[in-house]
Amino acid sequence: MNQTSKITVGILIIAVVAIAVHAQAPAGGGRGGGRGAVANNPAPTSPATGNAVTGKKLYYDYSCYGCHGYNGETGARAFVGNWGNLQTEAGFVAFLRLRGDQNPAAPSTGMPNFPVSTMSDAQAKDIYAYIRTFKSNAPELKDIPALNAIVAGANKPYKP
Amino acid sequence: MAQSKKEAVNRRGFLKGAAASAAAGAAALAGVPAIEEAQQVPAGGGRGAAGAGGGAAPVAPAPTQDQINRDTGNVRPPAAAGGRAITRAGSDLMVQVIRDLGIEYAAANPGSSFEGLQESFINYGAVPNKTPEWITALHEESAVTMAHGYGKAEGKPMLAVLHGTIGIQHAAMSIYQAYHGRVPVLMIGGLDPDGPVAQHNAADLAGMVRSFTKWDAQPTTLPETLTALQRAYNEAITPPQGPTMVVINSRLQKMEAGNLALPAYTPPKYPTVDASTAKTIAQGLVNANNPRIAVGRLRTPQGVKLSIELAELTGASTSTTATGGPMSFPQRHPLCGNGADTTYDYTLGLEAGGAQASLTGPALSTITAERDTAHIGFNGIQGGGGGRGGGGRAGAGGGNAIGPTDAEASLPAIIEQVKLLLTADKKRTIAERTAKHAAANQTARVTGIQQAVLTKRAGWDGSPVGTARIYAELWPLIMNEDWCLSSPSNFSGGHHAQLWDHNKPYSYLGGQDAGGMGYGAPASVGAALAAKNRGRIVINVQTDGDLNYAPGVLWTAVHHRLPLLTIMHNNRAWHQELMYVEYMAGVRGRGTNRGFIGSSLRDPFIDYNKMAAGYGMKSEPAPISDPKLLAAALKRGVDIVKKGEPYMIDVITQPR
Repeated sequence: MNQTSKITVGILIIAVVAIAVHAQAPAGGGRGGGRGAVANNPAPTSPATGNAVTGKKLYYDYSCYGCHGYNGETGARAFVGNWGNLQTEAGFVAFLRLRGDQNPAAPSTGMPNFPVSTMSDAQAKDIYAYIRTFKSNAPELKDIPALNAIVAGANKPYKP
Repeated sequence: MAQSKKEAVNRRGFLKGAAASAAAGAAALAGVPAIEEAQQVPAGGGRGAAGAGGGAAPVAPAPTQDQINRDTGNVRPPAAAGGRAITRAGSDLMVQVIRDLGIEYAAANPGSSFEGLQESFINYGAVPNKTPEWITALHEESAVTMAHGYGKAEGKPMLAVLHGTIGIQHAAMSIYQAYHGRVPVLMIGGLDPDGPVAQHNAADLAGMVRSFTKWDAQPTTLPETLTALQRAYNEAITPPQGPTMVVINSRLQKMEAGNLALPAYTPPKYPTVDASTAKTIAQGLVNANNPRIAVGRLRTPQGVKLSIELAELTGASTSTTATGGPMSFPQRHPLCGNGADTTYDYTLGLEAGGAQASLTGPALSTITAERDTAHIGFNGIQGGGGGRGGGGRAGAGGGNAIGPTDAEASLPAIIEQVKLLLTADKKRTIAERTAKHAAANQTARVTGIQQAVLTKRAGWDGSPVGTARIYAELWPLIMNEDWCLSSPSNFSGGHHAQLWDHNKPYSYLGGQDAGGMGYGAPASVGAALAAKNRGRIVINVQTDGDLNYAPGVLWTAVHHRLPLLTIMHNNRAWHQELMYVEYMAGVRGRGTNRGFIGSSLRDPFIDYNKMAAGYGMKSEPAPISDPKLLAAALKRGVDIVKKGEPYMIDVITQPR
C-alpha cells in the first residue's frame, strides 16, 4: 500500500488500540481480541458436494488463508468452531457473492466479493468441501505447559 | 559504503578503469571478449549518463594524481612548524558538548562531510569512543530509526549523523516517523563546501526535512555550533518532543578552537501547572472517595516513577497505555485496572484527555504552522488533547484540558500538595481503598489471563506456526528477565497485550508511529543499544516484509554485540496489502486469485537464516514451521541473547 494508506491504517490501529487499552486495561488488554478464538460450536453436518483436494489448491490460490489461516483457526476471522456463513454449501456460495457493489473509499481488508466471473459455483463448492475438513488443533489447556505457566505467573505478586 | 563519499564517483571510475584494464588483458590472453567491456561507465558519466547501446566501448578516464594519492593512502595533512597543525579541533569541542549532554550513542553511515567529527568521536578525550560510542550503520534510515527505538526506550535522544543531501534523504522517512511519534532524536547533518561532489551540498541542508523536524540550525561559527547542539538537545526533549538537526560545516569541525570555552548548559523549562492548579488537583484527588488517574505516555522513566508515587499516595486506581506503547503506568501495579469501584468521583489525566483535569503537553500542531514549509498539511496531526499515548479517557467527567502542560514536569508540585493534605484519617482511608483496588485488580487480571489463554489455544498445533503461540511460548522464558518488546505487534496479532505483563517504561515500544515500513529491525537495534549496558534483553518479532527494507542493520547488531533476539514472523507476504488487492478485484469482478502478484514474497522464498549468517548473526539451523520445535528454539535464543549476543529464529508463520 502506499505511504498514505499505511499511515492511515497505522493511526487507526493506534487509536483503536489506545481506546481499547484505556477502556479495559489491564485485564485482558485491548488487542488481539477476536483472533483465533476457540469456539465450541459444532461443525456443520450439511452436505458438501465439492472436491476437497481441488478445494485445497483453490483455498491457497484465492488467498483464503490470508485471513482465515492455513487451518481455519487463526487470523482475522478464524472459523473453526465459529462457522457462521459456512453452515451450508448454498449459504457459503451465496455469501461469496454478497459484496459485488461495495466499493470502499478506503482500502479494505474485509471479506472480498467473489463473483461468478472470477470463481465458479463449482470452485466455491470445492473450497467449501476443503474447509469442511478443518477441525480444531487446540489441545486441552492442561496439556499446554506455556499457557499454564502464564496463568501461574499471573497469580504471582507484582514485583516493581 | 566503505569509502569516502567525497571521492566516490571518481574513485568508482578509477577502480572500474583498473578492473577493465585487467580484465581486458586477461581476455586477450584467453581469446574471449571481456564481459566488463559491456559494463564500463562512459567517460565522465555516472548514473544516467550512459548512451543507449551502440558506439565504441567507452574508455575510463585516467585517474588524477590526487585520486591516486587518496586511493593509495598517500594523502597527508600539511606539515606545521613545531607540531600538529590543529591542537584543539573544533570537532573536539562539539563532541565534548554532546558528551556532557549524556548522549550514549552516535549512529552514522560513513560520509566525508563529518570526517572531522568522526575522528573526534573515536579519538578525543581520556576515554575516547565512549558516551557517545560510534555506531556503524549501513543506511541512514537505519541510523535514525535506531535513534527512534532508543528514544522510545529511554525517553532521551541518541545522535544520528547524516552525510549531506544524500544522507538526509536516505533518512527522511525515519525522521518523518520519529516526528509523528514525538520521539526525541538528535541529528547532525554534515555539510562539506570543500568536497568534490557538489550534489551533496545545499544552501539550506535541513530544508528538505524541515517540515517534519521540530527545530534546526545551520550555524556559521564554532561558538554558534556549540550552543546550537545544546539548543537542539533541549528542543528534542521538550514537548512536543521530536527530531532536531544541526547542520555543521566541515570547516568548523576542522578549525582550530584555540581557547574557546564551552558554553554553559541550561536545562530546558517545561510548561507546568501553577501552584494554585497543583493545589486544586491535589484537593480533588485527596478529597475524592474514589479518584482515578489515567496515565498516557509520559516523557521519561522519571515521569512514570512520579505517576506511581502519586497513585500510591492517593490510592487512585489507574489506567495505562503500557500495552500499546512506552512510558506509561506499570500494568501489574496493584492500582492499575478498573479497581473495586468504577464510579470515579474525580479524574486526572496525565498525558491523557477526557479527565476532569487533563494535563497534556503541546501537540505537534502547535509548531506545524512555522515548520511545515513543504505544506504537507500537518495541522490535524495527532496529539491535541489525546496525550502522547494518542488518546485515552479517564472515565467520568466531561474533560478539562489544562494546558498545554507537561504532566511529568507538573507531578512534583502536585505530589507536594498532596502530601500537605494527607491527614492520618486520609491515609487510613486511602490504605483501605488501595487494598480493595489491589484485590479487585488482581482478580480481574487473573480472570483476564485465564480467558486469554483459552483463546490462544486456537491453532496451537497447526502448521505453519500461529502467531499466538510465538508470544505464548516466549513469555514464560522472559517473564523473570528485564525485557523490552521493541517491534510493533500490530501485524502479528498483538498477543503480548493479553498475555504479558508490561511493567517497565520500555516494556513495549509501540508501533511505527507513521505506518512506515522498515522500522522493526532498526528500532530494535536502537532499543538493544539502550539495553546493552543495563542488563536488559530485547525481543523483536520481525515481520518479513519489514526486514527487507534495510537488513544490513543485522550486521550492526552483531558488530556491536547487542542483546537482541529476532524472531521472524515469516508469512511470506504483505497480507494486509494482499487483501486490499483481493477486495478491489472482487469489487471489479475479475482475477480474485491474482492478488498475490506484487504482494507476496515467494518464488523464491527468502532464507532468513542465510541472511543472518551473511551478516554474521547466529541463528537456528533451519526455519521452524513445526510448532513443536518452537519452544526449544526460543529457549536457545533467549539463553544466547542473555549472554549479550544477537540471535535469529526464522519461524514460518500463519499470515496474521
